[in-house]
Amino acid sequence: MPWLVLFVVPALIIVVAVQFYPLAYSAFLSVQDWVLTESQRPKGFVGLENFTKELADDTFRRSVRNSVYITGGALALQMTLGICLAYLTMGASWRMRAIRTLLILPMVIAPVAAGTLWRILLNSRAGLVNHLLSQIGIKGPEWLASPDWAIVSVIMLDTWQWTPFVLLVVGAAIASIPEDLLEVAAIDGASRWHTFLYVELPLLMPLLLLTLVFRMLESLLSLDSIYSLTFGGPGYSTYTLTYYIYTLGLRSFNFGAAAASSWLFMIFASLSIGLVFWYQRRDW
Amino acid sequence: MKRQRSTKQRTLAFAHGFILFIACLVVLVPLAYLVINSVKLPREFLTVPPTILPSEVTLEHYRDLFEDSKTFRHFRNSLTVTLWTTGVTIISGTLAAYGLARMRLSARILAGVTFIFLFIRFYPRVTTVIPYFLVMRELDLLDTVWAIIIGQLGITIPFVTWLMLVVFQDLPREIEEAAIVDGASVLQRFRRVVLPIVMPSVSAAAILTAFLSWNEFLIASSVARRKASVLSIAVAGFVSDKGIQWGPMAAMSVVMIVPMIVFALFAQKYLIRGITFGAVKG
Repeated sequence: MPWLVLFVVPALIIVVAVQFYPLAYSAFLSVQDWVLTESQRPKGFVGLENFTKELADDTFRRSVRNSVYITGGALALQMTLGICLAYLTMGASWRMRAIRTLLILPMVIAPVAAGTLWRILLNSRAGLVNHLLSQIGIKGPEWLASPDWAIVSVIMLDTWQWTPFVLLVVGAAIASIPEDLLEVAAIDGASRWHTFLYVELPLLMPLLLLTLVFRMLESLLSLDSIYSLTFGGPGYSTYTLTYYIYTLGLRSFNFGAAAASSWLFMIFASLSIGLVFWYQRRDW
Repeated sequence: MKRQRSTKQRTLAFAHGFILFIACLVVLVPLAYLVINSVKLPREFLTVPPTILPSEVTLEHYRDLFEDSKTFRHFRNSLTVTLWTTGVTIISGTLAAYGLARMRLSARILAGVTFIFLFIRFYPRVTTVIPYFLVMRELDLLDTVWAIIIGQLGITIPFVTWLMLVVFQDLPREIEEAAIVDGASVLQRFRRVVLPIVMPSVSAAAILTAFLSWNEFLIASSVARRKASVLSIAVAGFVSDKGIQWGPMAAMSVVMIVPMIVFALFAQKYLIRGITFGAVKG
């Protein structure tokens, strides 16, 4: 027993020092007035002022809205595409295995490099995307220079990079559905579509929800891809909540405000994490 | 099974193949275009229409990268960070997981521990980055690789502990009982009996940790910007007010991406298991 405790200690120390202590520190900062460029020490307790200020702040609200658009759009696309591709790449033949290996490549690329890659592709004049569009007679938009298209660009990047995740998870789940179940449905005269709708989908539902929440959190938390694709721009048009907090804290050094908005974010994230936890512990 | 396939089936099979073909193109073309860009002559960068196949292949961007002492340092820093993070994580994470698995904790406490792992994996990390920055400033560790390594350990250790905890829980205790009868200590039992069995999982965890550490951006960019800067920061650094240095940016992205693609091709199973861990049971 003492050995076992000793085994856990190094890991515990690091987790407490690098996760829990900063977490508590950040809770402390959220009720302090502290801008590093104005003072070297916190200027004092301000109650919930940071929170109320943030909630009324235009950039904060805009970032929340952008996050909702980006994550919502990206999730809708990658869930749909991921499920479709999971069905289309079913099977253990070498060809399907090769295709699956190929399709998951975007997922292993560093998000920051994926961002620069798409920056190259989406260049409005000399980029490949607009070139291909012009080949079929469409004049491509100014992807990264127009506020609306910049949001679409971020959605495209997230979809390109993370559809493979959905493909993988759903693919594994489909493969684990008992063959007999599908055969019974087929014998009963159910069409392929009906089998999917009434037999497979209900079985897959819990996993699909779980995947959705997973991807939602990861997409909301990601900083790197926005950083290298758009820098939050043009203007504030692709500021996501994470990007906003990051710049507020580590560019403007407004620690109090950054901590407060990150705790607002934390409330939502914790609820989602709680949901995942609850879902995983149920038996299904 | 009917031998003769109907026209409808043939059309469906064709559509199936076609869609998969397009999907593969969507993945491959951007990657290929990146590689092409990294060997393009500078004057061919902003031509309209874009140069798909460059008239001449040049390695000057790569040469510039590796001759530049700054980029070389980034590369070295990335390697240092990845090696240290992976080493420390694997040792302390595996030990901790074994300890937790064999401590006979109640189901309730284990559930609590699992919740903490899940929480650390998914809470908005940007919350702790600012205090972490302040702590590192206090300890005078800002802009050192140690600040990056310690920060990453906070993420990778709980993750690997979680991963290995599941492995150890699935390992039947009977395997160790013979060793207990022989009077082996916990340490001997762990080293001689348990470790050899779980070695494949340990390598999987190591590959995953290296992958996470190499690609990590948030912590690195918040505590180390100059001296201790790593590749993930440098890749984004080719965009400035003066414009974008397309060639070096593409070359640097390739340098960053290639090791991970090699990982993905040769250790696919391990990597996948790690990336999807938590979403899929076990």
